[in-house]
Amino acid sequence: MKSKEILTAIIIAVLAASLLLPSALMVFGSPQNDGMDSYMIDNGQDIAAVNNIVTGVVFDFRGFDTLGEALVLFTAVLGVTLMFRRMKEDEEYEYE
Amino acid sequence: MNMSRIVRSTANILFPFILVFGFYIIVHGHLTPGGGFQGGAVAATGFVLLLVAFSPDIIRDKFSFNSMKYTEALGLLLFIITAFVAIALGTTFFFNWLANGGIIFGESVAFGANPGILNSAGTIPLMNVAVGIEVIGAMGLIIMYMLSGIEGGNKE
Amino acid sequence: MIDLYLLGQFLVITGLLISAVVIYILKDLLSAAIAFGVFSFLLSLEFFLLQAPDVAIAEAGIGAGLTTAIFVIAIRGTTSPVDSGEEEES
Repeated sequence: MKSKEILTAIIIAVLAASLLLPSALMVFGSPQNDGMDSYMIDNGQDIAAVNNIVTGVVFDFRGFDTLGEALVLFTAVLGVTLMFRRMKEDEEYEYE
Repeated sequence: MNMSRIVRSTANILFPFILVFGFYIIVHGHLTPGGGFQGGAVAATGFVLLLVAFSPDIIRDKFSFNSMKYTEALGLLLFIITAFVAIALGTTFFFNWLANGGIIFGESVAFGANPGILNSAGTIPLMNVAVGIEVIGAMGLIIMYMLSGIEGGNKE
Repeated sequence: MIDLYLLGQFLVITGLLISAVVIYILKDLLSAAIAFGVFSFLLSLEFFLLQAPDVAIAEAGIGAGLTTAIFVIAIRGTTSPVDSGEEEES
């Protein structure tokens, strides 16, 4: 390998590591604004009647997000279906 | 285009166990980690194992494209219907209308540790099952269409 | 006294680095796809160590299962220039 490539790789690695530096300074598991999640942890089991709070958030408090996720999956299948559909006899791909 | 005998035997033996594990993750989504998406992905892995291991002639009789399409659409439809019933009952969209005293899944839980009551959580298990059905159909359909794209694959 | 959590994370991250380099080095496409499956599995183990079991199950199902299957299907559907070149020589 040329020395120029190695130098480029080292510079890229140092830049990526410097981007990761702020995350290393934070304390793991204690965000600054914890009003919303402490509300869900305190009241989620009573409101949604579910012990697994993650599922309670995903399917009850944030139901719209799950609906969007399901629609994204549906759209992905739609795209794959269009890409791999069976062509008719005289049909050809047209690129513009 | 069968794969080798070892792969086929392993797929035959592992398929029911993978399927049961995926359905376990789906049904227990409101008690243990996991849920509809994760369990559906695990169950779809079982289908994909069969699709990759066996030749298209054998697969074509078992799974058709239309059945997978209907499975996926049925899952999404069940999910949206469960959400819309809440509007019909006079509450907001995605309201948990079965929680704390519904006909099924109506048992309320106490704050604190997880005792593992399966009969709780209202509409969340229904939505888990709906999303699981949708994910199984979607993942299987993606793999089947990709197999139909290669030569000698599973044509529609 | 060795901290088991730190030891496990050290092992998993070392395995992640090694498997990522192995994917780049391997010339055989099927071996690279299997190495990518190993990488995904180790990544799901790392998610589990970071106390995110939901993401770990999703990663194990999608990354290690379905993505490897898609790669295997794509490799089955194409011909390798290395293999066909060797057949022409022999």
